[in-house]
Amino acid sequence: MSNKFFMAILFKQIRFKFLELLPLILLFFISLNGNSIIDFKFFSINIHYILVYYWVLKRPQSLGYGFIFISGIVSDVIFGLPLGVTPLTLMVLAATATYISLVTVRATLLTDWVSFIFALLISNFVYFIALYFSNYTIDYLYLFKNSISTFIFYPVLWVLFGMLLNIIGANKRA
Amino acid sequence: METSRDDVGIVIRSAFLKKGAQQKLSLFALTIISIILIFAETIQTKPLDYLRSITKDIIYRGSVLISSPAVGAKIIGNSVKNHINLFNEYEELKRENTKLKEEAYDPNYIIYENTQLRKLLGDQNSSKQNLVSARVMIDKQSVYLNSFVINSGSNRKIKKGTAVLDGKNFIGRIVDVNFFSSRILLVTDLNSKIPVIILPTGDQAILSGRGTEQPLLDFLPENHGIQIGDKVYTSGKEGIFSPGIPIGEVAIDNSQFNVSLFSDISQILFVNINLGGFE
Repeated sequence: MSNKFFMAILFKQIRFKFLELLPLILLFFISLNGNSIIDFKFFSINIHYILVYYWVLKRPQSLGYGFIFISGIVSDVIFGLPLGVTPLTLMVLAATATYISLVTVRATLLTDWVSFIFALLISNFVYFIALYFSNYTIDYLYLFKNSISTFIFYPVLWVLFGMLLNIIGANKRA
Repeated sequence: METSRDDVGIVIRSAFLKKGAQQKLSLFALTIISIILIFAETIQTKPLDYLRSITKDIIYRGSVLISSPAVGAKIIGNSVKNHINLFNEYEELKRENTKLKEEAYDPNYIIYENTQLRKLLGDQNSSKQNLVSARVMIDKQSVYLNSFVINSGSNRKIKKGTAVLDGKNFIGRIVDVNFFSSRILLVTDLNSKIPVIILPTGDQAILSGRGTEQPLLDFLPENHGIQIGDKVYTSGKEGIFSPGIPIGEVAIDNSQFNVSLFSDISQILFVNINLGGFE
C-alpha cells in the first residue's frame, strides 16, 4: 500500500517536473529542429518569438535568459545567420516582455496582444540592424509579412500556453 | 512629469539588470555578449575559427538527432505517396515513351550544338575534376537563407567558395567550413550571385538568387537575343568555379529572365563538391 502511495507521488512529481520543463524543452526543440519560423504557403509564423515573449511575460523562471540566449545561438547556426543576431533579438524581446510585465497591473489577452506589437517592432528593428551590419541580405517584405502573421497567431498560442500555465499552477498548489 | 520619467528609467533598469529568482545572468550582460559575438564573427583568427567550428559541428549533430523522427516520418510519407502514385506514374511513363518513339531526332544537330557549346566553353568541361561526395545532413530551407549543411568539412579538404554539384549540375557554393560539416549557399538564396554564360548566344550575366525556386538573370547586355530554353552555365569569371558547369535553362516570367534549374533542390540527398584542380 505504502509502496503504491510513494510510486504515485513519484509519478506525480515527475509529471509536474516535465510540465514545468515543457516550455524549455519546446524552446530547444524548435531551435534544434529549425522550426523557429514555420512556413505555410502564404504566411509564416515565428514560434520562437511567441514562446519567449509569452513565458518571459508570465513565468520567467520557466525559460531563463541564459537558455533563451543559447537557443538563439542554436537558431543562428541552423539557419546560417551570423552568430549573435538571434540571441540579441531574443534578449531585446525578453527585455520588452520583462518591462511590460513590470508596468502591467492586470494582464489580459488584449493587453498582452497589443504590447506584443511593440515587442515585435523593437526586436525586428534590432534584427534588421544586426543583419545590416553583418552584410546579410534578407527579404524585408517577408520579414514584415512574418511579423504580421506572428502577431495574428499570438492569441492561439496564448490560449495553449495559458492552459499549460494553469496545469503547472494547479500542480504546484496541490 | 519628472517623477514619471524617473519611474520609466527605474523600470527599464530593473528589466535589464534584474536577474530574477533562477537567472544566472542579467539581460543586459547577455545583450552585451550577443553584440560581442556579432562583432567576433568578422574576426578571422585560428582560435576563434576552431571554437566556431566545434560549436557548429556539435549543434549540427544535435539537430540531426532531434530532426531524425521528423525526417523518418517524411521518408515514410513520401514512400506511401509514391506507392499511391505508382499507377499514375506508369501511365505517364507509357505516354512519354510513346511520344519519344514518335519524335524524330536529328543527331547531326545535337553533335553540331555540342561542338559549338564546347568551343564557347573552351572545352574545359571534358577534363576530369577533383570531386568529393557528401551527404546532406540538414536542409532547413528558410526564406532568410536557402542552404544545406553537408557531412564533410575541412577533414575532406573542402574550402570556402568551392562549387557544389548535384550530379553534374551546379547548385551552389560552400560558404562555411567546419571540421566535419560545411554549409552550402544555394543558387536560389538572396545572397547568391554567380557569374554565368548563356548559350548559344554567349551573353554573360549574374545569376542572382531571390529566395524562390527560379533565380534571376541580372546585368544582361542591352541587345541580347536570349530565348526561353537557352542553357545557362557557370562562366568561371570569378576564378573560383570551373567554367561550363550546367546550371539550368532560361525561363521568362513577367518579362523577367529567370533560370529553371536542372536539379530539383528539394530532392537532393547527396552532392558533389568540386575541389577544383584538374587531374
